[in-house]
Amino acid sequence: MISYDECVSEIQTLLAQSHSGGSIVPPESDLIDELGLASLDVMELIEALEDRFDVAFPINELGDVRTIADLAQRIQNLT
Amino acid sequence: MSLLQKLDAARDFQDQLGQLGVNAIGATIDVTGSATEGKIEGKRVILAGTNNYLGLTFDPACIEAAAQAVRTHGTGTTGSRLANGTYAGHAALERELSAFLGTRSAIAFTTGYVANVGAISTLAGPGDVIMLDADSHASIYEGAKLSGAEIYRFRHNDPADLDKRLRRLGDRCARTLVIVESLYSMLGDVAPLDQFCEVVKRHGAFLLLDDAHSFGIMGETGRGLAEALGIEDEIDFVTGTFSKSLGSVGGFFASRKHDVAPLRSQIRAYMFTASSTPSVIASTRAALKRVAQGQALRSQLWKNCQRVHEGLTSLGFKLGAAPSPVIASLMDSPEQAAAAWQALLDAGVYVNLVVPPGAPKNLSLLRCSLSAAHTDEQVEQIIEGYAAVAQRLFDQPRAAASAYA
Repeated sequence: MISYDECVSEIQTLLAQSHSGGSIVPPESDLIDELGLASLDVMELIEALEDRFDVAFPINELGDVRTIADLAQRIQNLT
Repeated sequence: MSLLQKLDAARDFQDQLGQLGVNAIGATIDVTGSATEGKIEGKRVILAGTNNYLGLTFDPACIEAAAQAVRTHGTGTTGSRLANGTYAGHAALERELSAFLGTRSAIAFTTGYVANVGAISTLAGPGDVIMLDADSHASIYEGAKLSGAEIYRFRHNDPADLDKRLRRLGDRCARTLVIVESLYSMLGDVAPLDQFCEVVKRHGAFLLLDDAHSFGIMGETGRGLAEALGIEDEIDFVTGTFSKSLGSVGGFFASRKHDVAPLRSQIRAYMFTASSTPSVIASTRAALKRVAQGQALRSQLWKNCQRVHEGLTSLGFKLGAAPSPVIASLMDSPEQAAAAWQALLDAGVYVNLVVPPGAPKNLSLLRCSLSAAHTDEQVEQIIEGYAAVAQRLFDQPRAAASAYA
C-alpha cells in the first residue's frame, strides 16, 4: 500500500510541473479555487495518478475532492 | 452560496465571450435558402458549419415526404410513444433503420442527445462500470452520470490506454460498457475502432459506438465507420442521430448482437418525452433511402473534404486531423479564433467558433463542416475566405502544418 505522504508528494510534483509554476503547494490547497485547475485539468491529473499508482479512480468521486489532501486520501484508499 | 450565484457565473461566461468581440454563439441564420447558403445579419453566407454532410435538408424527395406527412398527419404527435405518440411512421422508420443497419432491432428517439442519454443510462446501472473516451460528447457523459454506474475515462483514441484501464478492472469487465465515437465532432478525427473492438473483446467487456458523425458518410452503403472497416458484427450497441447526414432531427439505438426492443419500456428518455413529429419521421425515412443509394453524394463529400483540407494546409493553418467532413483549424488563443471567425463571416463563410471549455484539451478552434452539396465554386470560396483570415491574422507566413501528423 502506498503511503498518504507519497500520494501527496506525487500530486505536488505533478502540479508543480503543470500548474504551480514549479513550486510545491501545501496539501490543503483547493485544486480549483486556489490553484485554478479546470475540471478537465483535474481529470488529467487523476489519469496521471492512476498510471503512477496503477489504480482505477472513478470520476463519480470527483465531486468529493476539493484539495490535494482529499485526492491523496482517495488515491491511497485505492492502492 | 445562493442558488442564483450560478446565474452570475453564467453571465460572467457570456461576458467573457462578449469580450472576444463576436456574437458567435448567438449568431442567427435568418434565412436558409439551400443546404449550403443562408443569410446572417442580412449578409449572404456559405454555410460551412452545419453538419449537413449529404445536403439532404433540401433534397426534393425529403421535402415532399415531410410536406405530405404534415398534410396527412398534422404538425405534431402531442405525446410520448408509450401514451399516444406512436404513429405508423415511427414503427416503419425503426423497421427500415434496422433493415438498413442489419440490426436485430432499433429504437428511434426524439434527438441524438436523448438517444445517448436514454440508451447509456439504461444499459448500465449501479454496480456496473462505464469506460468512456475522454473526448466523449456531452450526451455520453450525461447518460453515464445518470446511469449510476462507476465511470472511468481513458485517453482519447488510445486503445493501449483502454487496455490498461480494463486490466485494472479485472473481473468487473463483464459488467463494463466501453463507449467510443466513430468520428469526433470537434477535431474531425476518426477512432481506431478495429483496435478498440479487439481490446474490448479480449477483456470480455461490451462496446457501444456513437456513430453520429460517420453514419451516412463512411462505408460502401453509408452504414458508417464499422461498415468501412468490416467489423459491424463486433459492435455490441450503436447509437446515432438523424440531424447530420439524414438532414432532420432525431436519434436511434440499435444492435446486431442483442435485441434492444424490450428496453423500450425501461428507457425513461424514450417513455416520458414527446415523439418526433410526422414530418420529421417522413423526411428521415426518405433521407435513409438516399443514404443507402448515396455513393455519388459520399464521393462528392470526400472530394470536397480533400480539397478544403489541402487548401487550408497550404495556407498554413494547423489542422486537427486528416481529411474528414469536419476540418478544425487550431488557433493560438480564443481571441485569435474569435477574430478569425468574424473575418470568415465578413468574407461570407459561416463556420463554428469553438473556445474553451467547449473544445477538447482547451483548444480554440475554427470548425468547418463540409457538405456534398457544396459546389466546386463554393469550396473555392471557403478556401478564399480562409486565405483572407490568414492574411489578416498571420504576421508572417506559417509553415504548412497539420497537428495530427
